[in-house]
Amino acid sequence: MSPQLNINEKDEKLYLPEIAKVTKVKSFTDQEKFFEVELASGRSLNHDPGQFVQVSVLGIGEAPISISSPPEKGSRFEMCIRAVGPLTRKLHTLGVGDNIFIRGPFGHGFDKDILDKLSGKHLLFIAGGIGYVPLRSLINMVLEEKEIYEKISILYGCKTPQERMFPSELDEINSIGGNVELLEIVDRPDNNWKGYSGVITNLIPRVSINPENCIAVIVGPPIMYKFVIMDLLDLKMPKKSIYISLERRMKCGIGKCGHCQMEGIYVCQEGPVFNYSYVANNKEIF
Amino acid sequence: MNKTINRPFFQITKDGMLAAIDKMLQDYSVAALTEKNKNVVFDFVKSSAEISNVYKPTILSPKKFFFPQEEVILEYTAEGKVTAIIESKPMVLFGIRPCDINAKKVMDEAFAESNGDANYLSKIENSVIIGIDCKQVCDEDSFCYRVNSQEVTTGCDILLYDLGEKYIFEYKNEKGREFAIKYFGSQGSDHGAYDKFLKEKESNFGKTEGPFKDLEYLPGVFEHTKDHPIWEEEAKRCLSCGSCIMVCPTCYCFDVADELALNLKEGQRLRRWDACMLSDFANVATGESFRKEVSNRIRHRMNRKFNFLMRKHHQPACVGCGRCVRACLADISPKEIVEIITGEKERE
Ligand SMILES: Cc1cc2nc3c(=O)[nH]c(=O)nc-3n(C[C@H](O)[C@H](O)[C@H](O)COP(=O)(O)OP(=O)(O)OC[C@H]3O[C@@H](n4cnc5c(N)ncnc54)[C@H](O)[C@@H]3O)c2cc1C
Ligand code: SF4
Ligand code: SF4
Ligand code: FES
Repeated sequence: MSPQLNINEKDEKLYLPEIAKVTKVKSFTDQEKFFEVELASGRSLNHDPGQFVQVSVLGIGEAPISISSPPEKGSRFEMCIRAVGPLTRKLHTLGVGDNIFIRGPFGHGFDKDILDKLSGKHLLFIAGGIGYVPLRSLINMVLEEKEIYEKISILYGCKTPQERMFPSELDEINSIGGNVELLEIVDRPDNNWKGYSGVITNLIPRVSINPENCIAVIVGPPIMYKFVIMDLLDLKMPKKSIYISLERRMKCGIGKCGHCQMEGIYVCQEGPVFNYSYVANNKEIF
Repeated sequence: MNKTINRPFFQITKDGMLAAIDKMLQDYSVAALTEKNKNVVFDFVKSSAEISNVYKPTILSPKKFFFPQEEVILEYTAEGKVTAIIESKPMVLFGIRPCDINAKKVMDEAFAESNGDANYLSKIENSVIIGIDCKQVCDEDSFCYRVNSQEVTTGCDILLYDLGEKYIFEYKNEKGREFAIKYFGSQGSDHGAYDKFLKEKESNFGKTEGPFKDLEYLPGVFEHTKDHPIWEEEAKRCLSCGSCIMVCPTCYCFDVADELALNLKEGQRLRRWDACMLSDFANVATGESFRKEVSNRIRHRMNRKFNFLMRKHHQPACVGCGRCVRACLADISPKEIVEIITGEKERE
């Protein structure tokens, strides 16, 4: 039987964004800027790490942007935006006090079910480039209570040292010690670079991984997660111990417009965070 | 097959129906089949005299009344005042056919599920849908009989059966009942006429090939034929023009764009039909394209019809209306693709 159409449950605010103010701006690189914004309503986003918001500049457009701050009470949250097109370039011109418009949070992130499975585990975060931005929400959250994990390893790869996001936070993480380790690598080092050089997969053998007790979380471009996943599977990590967060074109964020579809999956609703075992056979994953 | 048991069939003469439509026109906008530049189209009429008697498949489907090709969803001012625009008007859609009624069921569910889309649903809420059953296949490109979409269960408020000199009708819900009482009046019932209609319909459709082989199992069949050579073969001919999507009554993907007024003081956010057959549909800002090859896009379109959405909506999301077949310059046909995929036929 087909489900009954319930016309009364229509949402008149489905596409209506709410107003927010920019409260802080910081440039990381030529292309990437950090923004803190506050919803004018005073409402808290109440998000899970890994979720995203639809960000608008009226007259220009709307795009999905990851929430980079950990879940917190309060009406402020953080994003990091790479200028690649009309909307994101316009966002880069905004300063403190300017309006932006927000819908969300949307998508399926690291919800309580997943988070519960992480305690006691070795968490292996693997971020490529701007992939650190969505991961940061979860990383900063688990660092708050690092004792409940066996170990926290963060592998971060960028093209050049200049492209590293949140450089001062990375330095702080580096100095935590104990069960927290940060390994960084760049494709094209400069004279001041003291870390590793090469591609991100070069870092994997430098971490001691017990496939039985490790949970990996990967965010980066397709070419990166493809090879990272191959290496992790070679280390006998079960598919279900691997999580990935995927980027797709998104227009609505709520399962209507069809742009984000990866075969039958609406990435905006079921993702962007996926357990790899669920999508391993999907033909449109890479 | 629908049986007559417990189903009241009322009757109304053709002249009575024309008078009823003119009465409706005082309270509703009425859209019906009408002639425009030698084509029949679904459009608004001002009088029952404009309604065309003969049915020919239309180029665009009636989905345009509920999901317009372009629709304003937001209006805003430079000061940052944003308003959701949800427009609908009291409307009667007269004379849509079983394929389009079944297509509407898919659309209704798509826009109602999980996040109810007020732009679509308010238009449905504000409309009365009057269907007309088909007694035979309308042309050689239609293949409703291959997906059983010549059968109507729900999806309209009132269903008419054309018996030449008169219609008999049944209402499908309370909204249809109230409407029929108000506009059609009471003109008695005629069960015998329905039996006669049904017999003729069954006899006509009995001469067709009937449903696709393994119709109910098509989602599984499509799931396991993602590497079938047919995707590459069809891709060689496809022009990626997207016409098939524009005319399809069950395609509901859209793009969203902002437009500023010339004075730069106000603007609108619009949604427009979009097409997964266009090459940039699944591109992301970093340059990746997740369905770069034409073959990937044809496979996606067909899997939406017979796999992904069929699982979701419990009916094929292709209703066999044949519009895409008529529109395609490369002669690509979902019917032929299914027949080859299921092994029912070999490529000619
Ligand atoms: C879940 C999710 C989370 C995201 N999180 C972030 C984040 O935290 N930070 C961030 O910066 N970005 C993030 N993104 C990416 C971001 O949404 C895009 O970069 C954004 O859409 C860019 O919008 P734009 O209007 O500026 O550029 P667009 O107009 O989308 O164009 C960007 C670039 O891509 C090219 N392009 C656009 N459309 C096409 C096309 N059809 N074919 C070929 N090329 C095209 C343009 O030429 C331009 O160079 C995320 C995306 C998703 C799906
Ligand atoms: S109408 Fe035909 S040629 Fe155009 S995109 Fe569709 S299948 Fe390809
Ligand atoms: S795919 Fe073609 S035949 Fe099927 S419903 Fe759409 S337009 Fe009609
Ligand atoms: S972004 Fe529109 S359906 Fe997912």
